[in-house]
Amino acid sequence: MMKYLDHLEEIIITFLIGAATVIIALAVGHRYLSGLAIPGLQDWLLSINMSWAQELCIYMFVWMAKFGAAYGVRSGIHVGVDVLVTRLPDSWRKVTVILAILGGALFTGLIGSLGAKFVWENGMHYAVFNKLGMNVADLIEGPTTPDLEWPTWIIYSAVPLGSYLMCFRFLQVGVAFLRTGELPRHDHAHVDGIDEIGTLDSTEALEEYEQHKFNNKEAQGGVK
Amino acid sequence: MSTAVVGWEQFSKKKAATWLLCIAVILGAIATLGSTGIVFALLLALMLTGMPISIALGLTVLTFLFFFSEVPTEAVAMKLFTGIEKFEIMAIPFFILAGNFLTHGGVAKRMINFATSMVGHWHGGLALAGVMACALFAAVSGSSPATVVAIGSIMMPAMVRAGYPKRFGAGVITTSGSLGILIPPSIPMVVYCVATNSSVGALFMGGVIPGLMLASLLGLVAWWRAKQGNLPRMKKATWGERAKAFRDSIWGLFLIVIVLGGIYSGLFTPTEAAAMSAVYAFVIAVFVYRDVPFKKVPKVLLDSASMSAMLLYIITNAVLFSFLMTHENIPQLMADWILGHNLGVVSFLLVTNVLLLLAGNVMEPSSIILILAPILYPVAMKLGIDPVHFGVLITVNMEVGMCHPPVGLNLYVASGITKMGISELTVAVWPWLLAMLGFMLLVTYVPIVSLWLPRALGY
Amino acid sequence: APAPIVIKFSHVVAQHTPKGQAADYFKKLAEERTKGRVKVEVYPNSQLYKDKEEMEALQLGAVQMLAPSLAKFAPLGVKEFEVFDLPFIFDNYQELHKVTQGPVGAKLLKKLEPKGILGLAYWDNGFKVMSANKPLKSITDFRGQKMRIQSSKVLDSEMRSVGSIPQVLAFSEVYQALQTGVVDGTENPPSNLYTQKMHEVQKYVTLSDHGYLGYAVIVNKKFWQGLPADIRATLEGCMKDATKYANEVAKKDNDEALAAVKKSGRSQLVSLSPQERAAWKKAMDKAHKDNMSRIGADIVKEVYAATGYNAN
Ligand code: NA
Ligand code: NA
Repeated sequence: MMKYLDHLEEIIITFLIGAATVIIALAVGHRYLSGLAIPGLQDWLLSINMSWAQELCIYMFVWMAKFGAAYGVRSGIHVGVDVLVTRLPDSWRKVTVILAILGGALFTGLIGSLGAKFVWENGMHYAVFNKLGMNVADLIEGPTTPDLEWPTWIIYSAVPLGSYLMCFRFLQVGVAFLRTGELPRHDHAHVDGIDEIGTLDSTEALEEYEQHKFNNKEAQGGVK
Repeated sequence: MSTAVVGWEQFSKKKAATWLLCIAVILGAIATLGSTGIVFALLLALMLTGMPISIALGLTVLTFLFFFSEVPTEAVAMKLFTGIEKFEIMAIPFFILAGNFLTHGGVAKRMINFATSMVGHWHGGLALAGVMACALFAAVSGSSPATVVAIGSIMMPAMVRAGYPKRFGAGVITTSGSLGILIPPSIPMVVYCVATNSSVGALFMGGVIPGLMLASLLGLVAWWRAKQGNLPRMKKATWGERAKAFRDSIWGLFLIVIVLGGIYSGLFTPTEAAAMSAVYAFVIAVFVYRDVPFKKVPKVLLDSASMSAMLLYIITNAVLFSFLMTHENIPQLMADWILGHNLGVVSFLLVTNVLLLLAGNVMEPSSIILILAPILYPVAMKLGIDPVHFGVLITVNMEVGMCHPPVGLNLYVASGITKMGISELTVAVWPWLLAMLGFMLLVTYVPIVSLWLPRALGY
Repeated sequence: APAPIVIKFSHVVAQHTPKGQAADYFKKLAEERTKGRVKVEVYPNSQLYKDKEEMEALQLGAVQMLAPSLAKFAPLGVKEFEVFDLPFIFDNYQELHKVTQGPVGAKLLKKLEPKGILGLAYWDNGFKVMSANKPLKSITDFRGQKMRIQSSKVLDSEMRSVGSIPQVLAFSEVYQALQTGVVDGTENPPSNLYTQKMHEVQKYVTLSDHGYLGYAVIVNKKFWQGLPADIRATLEGCMKDATKYANEVAKKDNDEALAAVKKSGRSQLVSLSPQERAAWKKAMDKAHKDNMSRIGADIVKEVYAATGYNAN
């Protein structure tokens, strides 16, 4: 069950960043090509409307940010000021870490609830009651987004959904910490990719010049 | 949330208690300064627990709004969405994605070969090549740690094998890597523009000349120290070898043309340029250099998304924090105070630098800019300081902050690559760091350095 | 004395712009005439809430008064306000004020009430000019031109109706986008064109007066209706005078801006002959047809009746 949630989270954010990139690339290509006076092609391109691309990209990234932040708790990517904590005696450090995790859970839980209330009042209430055929006379039909004209309450629901998920992740990390004393840690000093192109390639890079390799005696005179 | 870092001593209970007491006293004193004091004391206290900076910012705002104001708290939830609902901000994930494809994609390796063929035969040749490769890579990547990794992971072992002292290589690359945020594109510059509503394109242009100057300066220090230490030189490459190295790296170098050329020739906006560079970097990494197998692409996407999400989450919460600041009229009060005390441009800039350097001790650039820029910027504008000049000087200041302890991402990255401790690295970087500090003063007090190119191009 | 009633008036432009000046003028009148019982706090420059947030902030009661551009009401669900974006729907200020100061304008403001918003007045910004790097005179001149617009469905179809490519861009990036050529041209009231220095990066400015840009001053309904009756009446009087002031300042500002653009010599002013203007009007009538059902045929017809609009 938990594995599916983990996978879903990863698939969502991977898809969002990839798709947003493709959409913007298409929009740029479209704008550039429609400016060229190529008979036929120009007419066709002018008839295509890509005005929604920017807005959609923004919303995709906001959703990516909210769910990615939850994923980030699990993978320990959120940066904090650890100057003090890391120097505290172990037992004190444990208490501080638990406090910090609870702070995270508290904040995301609160924001989730505030966000849910906002989404509800900002159009969800109306939409739900309207759907159920109930009286909506006193309710506000929420706004829509300017270009795509989607109801903003659906777009904004990234805030409560993402925050509750993040809250859950904080609690999960807290429980794991109590059990094992380990925290997920993203090593900002480690960037994937250097294992593959790292030290091995560096020797290769050098070997290309091995033949010119400096001979100490020539140093005095230079190799110019 | 953290675990121990190499080279840091752990306090005894007694020492820890003393430290905590001192901190408590200082924070208590700050809190007596009125509502502003409470805000900052609370923020500092929360941050010191090691919780994510974004959460500390958000909790501070919530606490304050709950207890001290009548702002409807749903407004906070709304701000969490609208805070990043801006196309300009989207440049950040795009540049991160492009950078990840480049570091995975063998672009750095070929840039190094090219740089080495050009300057390898001078005193400290490999070191100079390292500086040049950092500058080249900086022109395609928006982040400093990424530049250190991309160039350093190849260059540092090569330098050690060629007979350079380990410290020398670490010092050069750690500091040169910081060019990543000064030479455009630059993620902290985008963050600054978003926080102050300035033009990204103009600021990017403003970073070019200072970036080239700083690269030359760092190279000069390396050359001078190499000459003194009589460090090895490479054999001069033939023009044929240079041409080959250039041809091999041309695909990577062309990205510079795409990003900067694309923006300044009007092909795209800075955000669109970021997206195009991500697409381009993907194509060369996967199809041209083939250093990234297709099945690894989702992993690159996921890592970029996660890194972007972390930054965007700090940004949203920092937007909340600056909303609280405005609500409490703090930037206005600060501006009035500075103008009222006739604190001229010179002393204001000095205060700005000191404040930023202090912040650079404990935070990374984007957070510092997001928290401090909205407060300092209005004052700078009232004093008639150019937004581009102000942005460049903040960026240079951030570069310095990344290279010194206790918090300095470049140092951490370099330590990861060289397996050197933070304290040893700190000693290693000092000649270059000193040069950077001098350069920072130059940029601070000689605005034309940052303004000449943007002005020449008509901004 | 009891604590004064605080009205937070938030807007997204600088203090020295016509809207900024009018907001400050309203503040002055309101505080004088209520003898300090009302305190108006003006927050210019999106200090508190940005363009996209202010409307929701007003509905939540986080601010009490706003003056958003009329285009902002369509996303709120009151698409009828897009009628103001229709090209050439007003030929001049007389026709415009017949609507904004007449029954149709009042009827439109009434439509905001179910959203928890009361509309108090319309403030002019002015009529728009069209700028580009080539003289835009005939319709064919527009073909393939990339034109920056504000986010709006009607403006989008206006630009498409003459064969150009509309592009939505953030205001802070417009100058650079024009300079580098990401977009070729844009439409603005002269005051915006001049203060954003766009005339420096545009070779030609066509004095087309083809569209209108305006604001509505709105308040939180609950807040306004909860005010003591005498205070509300006084404030409504203040708003009336502030509106007169706002429209005068806007007109003067636009005239001065146009003179300044001309004097700068950085871009050339292009006038349209009556035939050319008629051709624009006819071509852009497509934007009316395409958006008729969207905006609501009733309201468009009512405006037509008030202004005597005729595309041919
Ligand atoms: Na860079
Ligand atoms: Na630092």
